[in-house]
Amino acid sequence: MTTEKKDPTNQKVHPGVEHMKTALSEGRCSRREFLRTTTLLGVSATAAYSLASKILGKEILPDIVSSAEASGHMKGGVIKFGMQVQEMADPATYSWTQKSIVARHIVEYLVETGPDNITRPGLATRWEASDDLKTWTFHLRKGVKWSNGDDFIADDVVFNFTRWLDPKTGSSNLGLFDAMLEETGKKDKKGKPIKRMIKNAVQKVDKHTVRLNLKSPVLSIPENLYNYPTAIVHRDFEKEGGDLSKNPVGTGPYTLTEFRVGELAVLKKRNAPYWGGDVSLDEIRFIDLGEDAGAYLAAIASQQVDGIYNLDLTTLEAAKAIPGIKVVEIPSTQTGVIRMKVNKKPFTDRRVRRAVQLTCDAQRQLDVAHRGLGVVAEHHHVATIHPEYFKLKPFKRNIAKAKKLLAEAGYPNGIDLTCNIGNAEGVWEQDSVAVLKEDAAKAGINIKMNVMPQAQYWDVWTKAPLSLTSWTHRPLAVMVLGLAYRTGVPWNESSYANPEFDAALTAAESTFNVEDRRVKMEKVEQILQDDAVLVQPFFRAVFTAVRDNVKGFEMHPTRYYRFHKVTVG
Amino acid sequence: MVALVVKRFGFMVFTMIVVSLILFLLLETELTGDPAIRVLGQFSNEEQREMWREQHGYNQPVALRYVKWLGNFATGELGESIRFKGPVADVMLPRLWNTAILGFWTFAIMIPLSLTLGVLSGMKEGSKLDRTISVFGIITTSIPEFASAVFFSALFVFGLKWLPGTSSMSSGFDFKQLILPAMVLIVYDFGYVARMTRASMAEVMTSQYIRTAVLKGLPYRSVILKHALRNALIAPFTVIMLQINWLLSGVIVVEFFFAYKGFGALILEASLNNDIALLEACAMVAVCVAVTTQTIADIGYTFLNPRIRFS
Repeated sequence: MTTEKKDPTNQKVHPGVEHMKTALSEGRCSRREFLRTTTLLGVSATAAYSLASKILGKEILPDIVSSAEASGHMKGGVIKFGMQVQEMADPATYSWTQKSIVARHIVEYLVETGPDNITRPGLATRWEASDDLKTWTFHLRKGVKWSNGDDFIADDVVFNFTRWLDPKTGSSNLGLFDAMLEETGKKDKKGKPIKRMIKNAVQKVDKHTVRLNLKSPVLSIPENLYNYPTAIVHRDFEKEGGDLSKNPVGTGPYTLTEFRVGELAVLKKRNAPYWGGDVSLDEIRFIDLGEDAGAYLAAIASQQVDGIYNLDLTTLEAAKAIPGIKVVEIPSTQTGVIRMKVNKKPFTDRRVRRAVQLTCDAQRQLDVAHRGLGVVAEHHHVATIHPEYFKLKPFKRNIAKAKKLLAEAGYPNGIDLTCNIGNAEGVWEQDSVAVLKEDAAKAGINIKMNVMPQAQYWDVWTKAPLSLTSWTHRPLAVMVLGLAYRTGVPWNESSYANPEFDAALTAAESTFNVEDRRVKMEKVEQILQDDAVLVQPFFRAVFTAVRDNVKGFEMHPTRYYRFHKVTVG
Repeated sequence: MVALVVKRFGFMVFTMIVVSLILFLLLETELTGDPAIRVLGQFSNEEQREMWREQHGYNQPVALRYVKWLGNFATGELGESIRFKGPVADVMLPRLWNTAILGFWTFAIMIPLSLTLGVLSGMKEGSKLDRTISVFGIITTSIPEFASAVFFSALFVFGLKWLPGTSSMSSGFDFKQLILPAMVLIVYDFGYVARMTRASMAEVMTSQYIRTAVLKGLPYRSVILKHALRNALIAPFTVIMLQINWLLSGVIVVEFFFAYKGFGALILEASLNNDIALLEACAMVAVCVAVTTQTIADIGYTFLNPRIRFS
């Protein structure tokens, strides 16, 4: 192969890239699939697009750029966006996505996980991992300036890591980078060990290179670096007051000019060249409309705002009926999992769990409970948009088999179950269980629904024998599987414990290459599905509404909205 | 007279102290769960909670804490809001002012309207006019704000497209945005005040002295204006004073629905987000308004009612 096929930012090119190129030229895969897989294999997005253009013999532009082009390069303008405006002093301690959406235009991340769930360069241009996934090297972008005139350098990154990993900061990043922490030997009142950052866990190699030294392998370091509390602030952030809303120093294209919690946040385009290219909007206004879904719909309907943070499922039909509003949606890995606690009767018997699982009509669930917005799932918590998704044999609903299994387990006359629901993410949770209730009844399984307030639900979510829990989107399947199904981990709500599964998951987690990891995921998915730990009918799509005059707005699976390429007509 | 005012005032202070004690017990003690968890959230660790307790003096005896807390309150030291990251007073006062604006326009329209309709309908009990006004008033009053808000919104925002759907006033004060919230409040409340006025008026109209006035040949107009009204308006005065109290909590639904940045929405936000300091301050302000309006109503009543005189 000739050198031109090499991505300039990567030393090695995965053989899979060659397969994809052949596939694209022979028409066996779509342009989208090609871009997705090659970028996953380490080819930079720019290089992937130019490869695709070359193979197809026409210019392929990123979708977002094409839609901005289509709108005729409208420059300038103001967008009004309906969203809760919360205090946003310290990016490291953010606990709501909304805060990060305002901050995202001021301070930036080392990487960026796009709407397509692929992680690309941000303030870091490229990164490498050692074979054991314990040493990660990040090469920082050169020539990036802070809004106060300073250069963006390795010290900034070292400062941020040190700050995140200091328990006094109170950042949730502590959990993401646990492999960089050690125990101090001291214990807190509840006997939990107090941790601190391992010396040299983050290391400045040179002015534009930073190395992370972990005590155990972690695959998802790049993905973790786009988790919303990991925005990189200036190295003097704390010295200068530690409040981004009062002192908005950043590398991003916008600055904060007006800010009133609960009311309004105004971002204005900075008067300096931006490393990421030109941005269109002169001003972004975030307008707080409270917490009532109806208010957001009313505001967008009467043109008080051009877009809203979230369109509630209950207002979806109404929104569709209003002229001038378009609903934008994107698949995500957010999901409701009806999990069975394997150490509580009657779910100690795998046959009972399997019987419940077999009654599930996933498509009907999706259509009824979530208005068809999403994709059906296969009871193993890995979504088709997860890069390492392996397609198992289709899962078929089988009432007769469910009845048979139930009889074998000692319940020939059916069984009574109670399912807890907290409606933490919406009433669809309760609808989902209601559909399962109807389906399960055909096999003699009588499910009683126990709907409780959200706060009360989180008190019992790991305790009840049967309940529906909402899990949020995570870019990699291994991230969520490690949190929810590995033996003994705190969020393992089903108390599932299977050494074989743990080993298969560890094997997948320690495989950096996506294609290779996907092969290993077959076993992981199959074991989890066969052990019937969960009934998982669907992965939800996330959606919201914008007005027709808004072009280039990209929906994001975790609602990490960016307005860099948005224009308003 | 002075004795009455002092007595009323003493009662006012007493009520507020009792309420403050209940508030303190509910929010600041472990009676209803750990305040540290309430503030820092259930995912906080024990170390953070301990640090917070230390910083905010939660390791001191409850009685001492209460006295300090009350002292701070009395001197206007309302504490810091967690949600808004700033002094509670700075957050609360503009919101209170916004609700005052909404309240002013609501009352400015609702009171003349309901008094007029109430008097008209009470003048001739059982007449066609009385029946019409009464039925209309009962219907509007029996429709709760959250229902009429949806109805008006559907009609004026989504249907006719005359009015803006929310009232966040994000680009400065806009009278148009005030119309829907005020309309909902007026429609809900006017029926009640009108009914009260009607009852009072009707009662006066059946009294001996009105009959005498009519029989001695006074023009009907001056019977109403000179004799009936003064007595008939005493009871509605108390009712109207109490409406101020109602408004302060009644606006929660309306402000929430129309995203109006007022006091009601603030109470809701504070309680949904466990913003203890803010919630306490809001509750105390609400109680303060309640007892003050009640006191004014009581004292004002003695002024208006000629049968009560202190000599």
